[in-house]
Amino acid sequence: MGQAASGGLTQGDVDEVIAASKGVFNQAEIESLYKRFRALDRGHKGYISPEEFLSIPELSINPVAQRLVRCCECPNFTTFVKMVAPFSPRASREDKLVFMFTVYDVDGDGFISREDMSMMLKQLAGSSLSEEDRQDIISRVLEQAGGAERLDFAAFKSALSSADLGNMVVEVPVDL
Amino acid sequence: MGELVKGRVESSLPGLRGIVADDKDQEHALVTREGPTKGDAEIDQLYAEAEDKRLSKTSLLLDVLNISNVLTDGVSAMVDDSFNKCFTSTRPEPWNWNIYLFPIWVVGVVIRYLVLFPIRVTLLFIGFNTLIVVFLLVDLTLMPSKRKMAMQRKLVQWMCSAWVAAWHGVIRYHGPKPTPGKNRIWVSNHTSMIDYVVLCSYSPFAVIMQLHHGWIAFLQKRILSSLGCLWFNRTEVNDRAVVAARMKDHVNKEDAIPLLIFPEGTCVNNEYTVMFKRGAFDIGATVCPVAIKYNKIFVDAFWNSRREAFGKHLFRLMTSWALVCDVYFLEPQSIQPEESPQEFAGRVQAMIAKYANLRIVPWDGYLKYYNLGEKNPGLIEKRRRVLADVLRAYLGKTSAAPSAIALEKEGKAAVELQSDGKGQKGEVEGVALQGWRKLCVGGTVHPV
Repeated sequence: MGQAASGGLTQGDVDEVIAASKGVFNQAEIESLYKRFRALDRGHKGYISPEEFLSIPELSINPVAQRLVRCCECPNFTTFVKMVAPFSPRASREDKLVFMFTVYDVDGDGFISREDMSMMLKQLAGSSLSEEDRQDIISRVLEQAGGAERLDFAAFKSALSSADLGNMVVEVPVDL
Repeated sequence: MGELVKGRVESSLPGLRGIVADDKDQEHALVTREGPTKGDAEIDQLYAEAEDKRLSKTSLLLDVLNISNVLTDGVSAMVDDSFNKCFTSTRPEPWNWNIYLFPIWVVGVVIRYLVLFPIRVTLLFIGFNTLIVVFLLVDLTLMPSKRKMAMQRKLVQWMCSAWVAAWHGVIRYHGPKPTPGKNRIWVSNHTSMIDYVVLCSYSPFAVIMQLHHGWIAFLQKRILSSLGCLWFNRTEVNDRAVVAARMKDHVNKEDAIPLLIFPEGTCVNNEYTVMFKRGAFDIGATVCPVAIKYNKIFVDAFWNSRREAFGKHLFRLMTSWALVCDVYFLEPQSIQPEESPQEFAGRVQAMIAKYANLRIVPWDGYLKYYNLGEKNPGLIEKRRRVLADVLRAYLGKTSAAPSAIALEKEGKAAVELQSDGKGQKGEVEGVALQGWRKLCVGGTVHPV
């Protein structure tokens, strides 16, 4: 990122990032996110390591913290903004579902398989849910979601058709 | 940011956006907590109840696949979190941006760096070194006696005044001047090491400090020890009990120098205050609160130890026009009969926050140095258990109350889970195991 009076961002960078995140953020929000990125990126390496993410207390007590942090894999600023983009109030429902699907699809093959669900349930429900119960739940979910052995995005989307995703919004604090 | 409400507790649970604690009385509990621990059921219960509210319990599909809430919590924390807010310095508004003001600003810079700074440094050098020499002389030549101690105290007070003059300190002291008294301990909010200097130039204090390196260590050990200061190392303290015992000793001595404690344990940016540790409130002494508020008009006195060395911090102070500060000596407080030390700490914190216009944040300042999720897997497990119970209900099974052994196993399993992830071995896993090992060995990562 080039040097500039506004904390290191040039207009070209901002435009690039806005394009990459499908225009859900305005310039003020991008600047604010950049400040946050710089604050988190302690060594000014250009990306945020998992430890730096997990040093945020509120994030480290989140049940799926590990998955979230691994999901974006040492993000540079553009990736960081792309990750937060689905949570903008201007993001579409489709974007939010895509993000949730990506997180749930642990091995990244485009399908939520039994293994993916097993891993996610371990993170979500912990070890107090026995292996047997977990497999049971997974079977039931797959059954109710259309009967296939694994879920593709369409099945995931229709399974969540009644879900209210209105609370899936994060406000980016902007200095006025 | 428009946050006009100061000194009030954050009304939502940290890490759970959009969920407000039902009971306003619970907010007080948030202020006084040491951070979520496995033993204390209260806050864990709050989190569990909040999680419970968010689950539908009617649709298995939704409860399993709809991870929007927990993802929102996570990404929310990534974008902004209340803990890091305590340690950011707000950038001052640039005022030198137009053609009339800019030259004036340049003149100002020239004066500050090339005229004021050298004068200050020279005077400080002369003054401080003379006093050190005199101090060492007194130390070596006189026999320990009341007069010697009185002289040493006076000298330290002058040394601190020399420093304050070097920063052109404009400090207003409000409230009655502290006098030594039996069984009294002073507590204050912490912004920088200069807090101690600011206070000491008015009235001498002994203090419990983190032992530093370099020339500061020399000052600490040689000179400040004469005042009865106590040293500790914050990352290695399993001598919480030892420090507590020494504090008790000190306050019980006849005409002991007032002992000053910074219960936050770390420097905070003077806009927020983090959790007050209960050590100073636990020894049965009367607590005299002191609130220090720096006016950022000329310089920001917050010492961000992660970003700047102490020397640079001093340089910044000495090249600004003045250091403006208000110090309030507040009414001594005693622990009430039904109060726990932690609640007492919270009450005193609320007083200080009110005078110094600070927002209270329920995090432990030491979280700067360790990962909360690792140290307290219990909280995450409790949240997970809520979902697990709901899922089991779908299967028609009720959940049994877990036994103590099962809980411990869960804790260990949780740590393993933490390092499970995608199966990638790496530093994160190593750190997680290290943290757990440290706990098992019995070393507390969580001192006074």
